[in-house]
Amino acid sequence: MTTYLLRRLLLMLPVALLVTIGVFMLIHLSPGDPALIILGEDRSPAAIAQVHEQLGLDKPLYVQYFIWLDNIVHGDWGRSVTTHEPVAVAITDRLPATLELGIVALLWSLIVAIPLGTIAAVRRGSLSDQIATGITIAGVSIPNFFIGIVLIFTLSVTLRLFPFGGYVPLTTDPLQSLRHVMLPAIALGTAGAAINMRFTRSSMIEVLNHDYIRTARAKGASWRRVVFVHALKNALIPVVTIVGLQIGGIIEGAVVTETVFTWPGVGRLAVESIFNRDYTVIQGIVLLAAFSYMIANLLVDLVYGWLDPRISYA
Amino acid sequence: MRRVAVGFACLFLVSACGGGGGGGGQNAGTPQKGGTATIALESELRTLDPMDSSLLVEREVFYNIYDSLFTIDPSLTIKPGLVKSWDISDPLNYKFTLQSGIKYQDGTAFNGASVKANIDRYKTGATSRRKSDLASVSGVEVTDDTHVVFHLSKPNATLLATLVDRAGMMLSTDAVLKGGQNFSLAPAGAGSGPFEFVEWKRNDHLTLKKNATYWHSGLPYLDGITYRAIPDVNAILSALKTGDVDIARVIGAKDVASVKADSNFVYKDVPAIGFNGFELNAGAPPFNDPAKRKAVAMAIDRYSILKNINFNIGVVAYGPVPPSSWAFDSSEKIYDHADAAKAKSTATGFTFTYKTTSDPVNQQLAQLLQSELAQAGITMQIQTEEFATYVQECASHKFQACNVNWSGRIDPDGNMYAWWHTGGDFNDSLYSNAQVDQWLEDARTNADQAKRKQDYGNAQKQIVEDAPYVFTTFGVSAQISNTKIHNFTLYPDLMIRMAEVWKG
Repeated sequence: MTTYLLRRLLLMLPVALLVTIGVFMLIHLSPGDPALIILGEDRSPAAIAQVHEQLGLDKPLYVQYFIWLDNIVHGDWGRSVTTHEPVAVAITDRLPATLELGIVALLWSLIVAIPLGTIAAVRRGSLSDQIATGITIAGVSIPNFFIGIVLIFTLSVTLRLFPFGGYVPLTTDPLQSLRHVMLPAIALGTAGAAINMRFTRSSMIEVLNHDYIRTARAKGASWRRVVFVHALKNALIPVVTIVGLQIGGIIEGAVVTETVFTWPGVGRLAVESIFNRDYTVIQGIVLLAAFSYMIANLLVDLVYGWLDPRISYA
Repeated sequence: MRRVAVGFACLFLVSACGGGGGGGGQNAGTPQKGGTATIALESELRTLDPMDSSLLVEREVFYNIYDSLFTIDPSLTIKPGLVKSWDISDPLNYKFTLQSGIKYQDGTAFNGASVKANIDRYKTGATSRRKSDLASVSGVEVTDDTHVVFHLSKPNATLLATLVDRAGMMLSTDAVLKGGQNFSLAPAGAGSGPFEFVEWKRNDHLTLKKNATYWHSGLPYLDGITYRAIPDVNAILSALKTGDVDIARVIGAKDVASVKADSNFVYKDVPAIGFNGFELNAGAPPFNDPAKRKAVAMAIDRYSILKNINFNIGVVAYGPVPPSSWAFDSSEKIYDHADAAKAKSTATGFTFTYKTTSDPVNQQLAQLLQSELAQAGITMQIQTEEFATYVQECASHKFQACNVNWSGRIDPDGNMYAWWHTGGDFNDSLYSNAQVDQWLEDARTNADQAKRKQDYGNAQKQIVEDAPYVFTTFGVSAQISNTKIHNFTLYPDLMIRMAEVWKG
């Protein structure tokens, strides 16, 4: 197990390196000069040249990359080229907001998906199955920015049930924090809920057809016990895979939602940094996103072992 | 080139862009002390240091933290600020008498040495964006604590107006040193203005608190201000409606009528100082042919743009100097209503590409221009680009037509010199006319305002005639707030000054 873990952790390094090279090239090869963004209404040829020199943009691309990499290896993520804020601070300041939003969205998606998916599977072909399927199609089809706008208009602007935008840290006031996070979390989690429901349903249908389910029923176990104890745990293995990917995708998944709700998270920082060609911040966020995906995948593999003892990493 | 981000966000989408308006009685009553106001900013700030600032939203905040050497009144007349009186009879040596007894929020004194330290910092700082503002200042001589002399390398009639804005904002040198590399993110105690910095959580909020020792006695009335960056005009309106913000400067032009009609809101506006329109590249085909530039300028129906895109907020523009300026000249109305027939007789049957951003209002404008030009036999193709790409291509002259607006400057020089002087910083159009250069240089160096107005009038007429830029509309500076906000004074320069505002 330890060897397996170490091997997986070491494998992350080359993957992260490849990701950063790819992103570095893509960003730098795309048109747009950060100096013009930084200088705004105060640009002059001398000022542009000065900014290029300060940011090291006058050096060859590979030199710029290795300077950045060298700094990262030494624990220096650099400073934002537009705000001079340390990149590590910029990201860690916004990470709690993104994690709170991502986790509440994920919980929302699971609270909706698992019961609905289970009901749809158990009552396959019934009206409740069709309603659940309809909800799924709607959830996947409607873009989350549209769900966000509808939620803002109805629950915030018209009914005044929830505040518009703004963020209160969980540690400052948990209740207010939850009030602020609910709308963006519902907007963000709905598509995930639909996908998770489909996976729960199909996996559950498959499991319910297995011999051991019939055996359990024959031995006199109640239908409820068979569904929730014998079937559901096994049916959740593919769902865990998907949820794992969703956890890894919290950072980039929140990009649109955070923008619509002016949520001060990493997603909004990413959008702003891309528009401003803030290379150092983009690189930092991409690195973080890559690691979060890899770690989420690793955790999923470990959870498999818990859900199904037949899977072993010895 | 926040020129478009700022220009458009501020002048065009803006609730602003139109004359007159509402909210009677909200200045009435005895000022009440206390309370906080939340202000919506249309984009996030990048810095709180005037030295490296380049965004209009940053200036909106600065005016409440820092004092400038000079101020303006709502008619754009230069007034005393940290400079109490001035003698500019010698065009190369401006003598300033400073206010005495003023302290920065960190307790250090404002004096002549502080003025020199600030100007030196702006002129030499590695990341300073103020160098071109102060290029004509060769040095500051400190006579004593309350007297300084600005030595100029060449006469500059625009200097006092320049010192109203960031180049004239005075900061505590101690606070700057103490802040070190993070000063621009947390300028604690650095200003002498009505409010002082408390906290900045980027993408969420910026908090200021009352400066208890503000030198204008009895001010400010509010205990504090919170700024929230909401980079979407529809979201700003939602936040106003839910009460999450008290004041905004920008909402969509389409929403202004309904806000004016809503008794829960106050809407007021005054003519602003910028201009809207698009550049034509005189350095490359097809617009290296002056006849084709003129044809485009003639074929555009400015009234249609004002009505259909700006919802009649603002006025049509004929040149670079808006009606709010002392240099405004109504005779610049060379190309008035659309005249397709006249345009056809000038030049027709050519095609060009118009670059713009994906902003919905910019897109609507492009489509309207396209249909108007088609009537004159000119084919306009619309090329939509992501902001950073578009900025770079326009700045590096890789365009035929480019939609760029300008937020404007107090002095008309700021609306013309960099744009149309040969080799000017914003002369994306590569326009060059020796006579225009001469007028602009004369106006910059001449202290006589009547003579300057004449120079600007001549230059404007020639620029409009040559059409390196097609002017469409002038915007407005607006206040959109709830009815709890009182005593708000609108300034044409788009800045929100909060010292005298109270909430009740």
